[in-house]
Amino acid sequence: MAPAFSEAGRRSWSGAPSASRSRRGSKRARAERTAAWLFLAPDVIGLGVFVGLTMVLSLSMGFFRVSGFGQYTFIGLANYERLFSDAQFLNAVKVTSLYALGVVPAIYVAGLGLALLMQLDMPLRGIMRLMLFAPHVVSIIVVATVWRYMLASRVGVVNKVLADFGLHGQSWLGDPKFALATVVLVTVWFEMGFFMVIFLAGLQEIPRELHESAKIEGASAWQRFWYVTLPLLRPTSFFVVVIGVASAFAGGPGLDLTIAMTAGGPARTTTLATYYVYQQAFEVGDFGYAAAAASVLVAAMMVATIALFLVTRGGRGKNV
Amino acid sequence: MQLDRRTFLKMGAAGTASTLAAPYFFTRASAQERTMSFWALNYTANPELKTSKWFKDLEAAWNDSNPVKIKVEAISANATDYYTKLATRFAGGEGPDVFLLSPADFLRYANANQLAELTPHMEKEAIDDFFPAVMATRMVGDKVFGLPMEVEPMAFYYSKQAFADAGLGEDDVPKTYEELIEIAGKLTTPDRYGVLFETNPGAYQVFTWYPFMWQGGGDVTTEDGKHSNFNHPGTVAALKLWKDLVEAGYAPREVLGGQGSQVAANLGAGYCAMQNCGIWGIAQLRDSAPDLEYGVFKLPTPAGQPNITVAGGWAFVANAGGKYVDEAAQFIVWALGSTAEDSKKRMLDWCTVAKSDMPPRKSVSEAGIANGAYSKGPLRFFAEEALPTARGEPRTPAEVYTMVSDAIQECMLNGGNPTDVAARTSDKIEDFLKTYHGARIL
Repeated sequence: MAPAFSEAGRRSWSGAPSASRSRRGSKRARAERTAAWLFLAPDVIGLGVFVGLTMVLSLSMGFFRVSGFGQYTFIGLANYERLFSDAQFLNAVKVTSLYALGVVPAIYVAGLGLALLMQLDMPLRGIMRLMLFAPHVVSIIVVATVWRYMLASRVGVVNKVLADFGLHGQSWLGDPKFALATVVLVTVWFEMGFFMVIFLAGLQEIPRELHESAKIEGASAWQRFWYVTLPLLRPTSFFVVVIGVASAFAGGPGLDLTIAMTAGGPARTTTLATYYVYQQAFEVGDFGYAAAAASVLVAAMMVATIALFLVTRGGRGKNV
Repeated sequence: MQLDRRTFLKMGAAGTASTLAAPYFFTRASAQERTMSFWALNYTANPELKTSKWFKDLEAAWNDSNPVKIKVEAISANATDYYTKLATRFAGGEGPDVFLLSPADFLRYANANQLAELTPHMEKEAIDDFFPAVMATRMVGDKVFGLPMEVEPMAFYYSKQAFADAGLGEDDVPKTYEELIEIAGKLTTPDRYGVLFETNPGAYQVFTWYPFMWQGGGDVTTEDGKHSNFNHPGTVAALKLWKDLVEAGYAPREVLGGQGSQVAANLGAGYCAMQNCGIWGIAQLRDSAPDLEYGVFKLPTPAGQPNITVAGGWAFVANAGGKYVDEAAQFIVWALGSTAEDSKKRMLDWCTVAKSDMPPRKSVSEAGIANGAYSKGPLRFFAEEALPTARGEPRTPAEVYTMVSDAIQECMLNGGNPTDVAARTSDKIEDFLKTYHGARIL
């Protein structure tokens, strides 16, 4: 039942002096909303034009044969039908899945491990953090070139060191048995500093009192990590896994590294799906087919991300 | 300085408006200059290089006497990167007026009618002056769509010191596939490979592998270009040669310097004792490994078969959809394809001063021989021994050379059986050719 205000009381709430104050308030609110939109506008317009519109155009291009010289021919689902019988596309998807399966757990473990290490009270901690993050700010082409030289068979420093231990040197980037694993390792080396910083931020959010209470209760270091740190890092872990999966499927540093280190070889064993899309567009000139392949990848990535959201409840887990 | 919110917003609005309007004024300004753009890999990126000076002189000479100017732009040294940027610009309808194009990508632009015909601007005498084998891949029927600036035949470079260390001399350079395997084995040490071929997949690897297939009688297509001829004993022998050398540990699975075309980074650095490379290697070694004592020899052949090598090289082409189509075509003909002496001299300078290449014109080649540019050393070898056995770099659609590249990779680096791979690839090429419509594949 509505409260029974008297007419006088109602007037006292909406009387002349109060109305003036309210008008001023709503004017200010409108001005603030306008200012907020003005501040947001560059990002919203930028995202709308360069992400939203591009995605719609790319999705549409998948239904056309596109010459790359301005000729568009509508071909319906032909590009999509071709995709699922294209052994090279399916191979590229398989390579990408293996790459993601290797990279995502590895960057999670390496990033978290380094973050835990860098939380310890130790001398030169700042410099060590800097050094661990440094690979991430180096040009990726420089990273690829340096690793190519270091990994070269017979003359590379890695094989020279192994030879000192009596191990016969391998062609880490030229042998199909090792090439993808090597690209995974270099990607992890390149990215672990970045994810270390993300985990450090997450670790600093965990109240110190919780650790102290657990310690007083007699919890060991492992128990404190397992029952306090890890559960409270769920949102950060979720972020790392989602970004890691998206980066692995959308290209990320792996794409640049494979182009510069292996060009997708040997024998397509490091051809990631995004590199295949690039080849179809810029080497073969089949932009429509490339757009269809890209759309399928984006759809797969969205499904994976939504599934992760649902399973982990956005990283909050079942207890929160 | 303190600003109130209104002043701040006004200044922001003014800044945004001027930023948005700037391209309009710049575009207008550049439009008034009437300038053609010329994409030339990265030849002008380093002003210290002779190639840069050649292009700058070319630009200045044209601009001195023509109302529509030319501006040479450095894009990228890496052909893949260069072609990516080119494709992007054409997709946006803003391709450069003049650009460099290799035979490998000729069909893509020619079949889409993106290349301007140069024939109406040329004298017949000048057309006939180009070597037919080099010109063929730049023509559709009897119409010329590009003028080559250089001819780059392939051969083998070898380190004289490595040969001496293995107790070998100049007479021991291999002449057959069997000898190549044997000598490569003798030259292989724990720190050095006996021989090096390109290992990266793609157009360049295919380009370097073609002559091994041709020497055994194989080819990608039949002579009319309408059917696959890939399933051939010559193809199988070529696939097997590269596979055997890699699997024996005589040839590497990866190259240094990013590409097998880099002779200083591989042979010059002692990574290998022999390297399959083109004529451009002379200039590379001169500039980057001047102390290396090296020799060159022709591609070994299957026993009893004739020598054949491949000759690549870039050509000037004009954008048929550009703003200055006629002027661009005139510029190309003036630069490389006129009967005037300065046109011939310009080509000779490019091939003998700026680079170490062979000229694609008979008269220029004769002039080079007459002035002694090809009278000694490796250049003499290329002029007298390699060039006469050269076949022009094929022009095939990207789909086809990708299939050939996959076949090479599968056998060379992934243990594939050459006989099976050649048969499988041939079927794929045949399927593709059934759907191909465009200029003849050569």
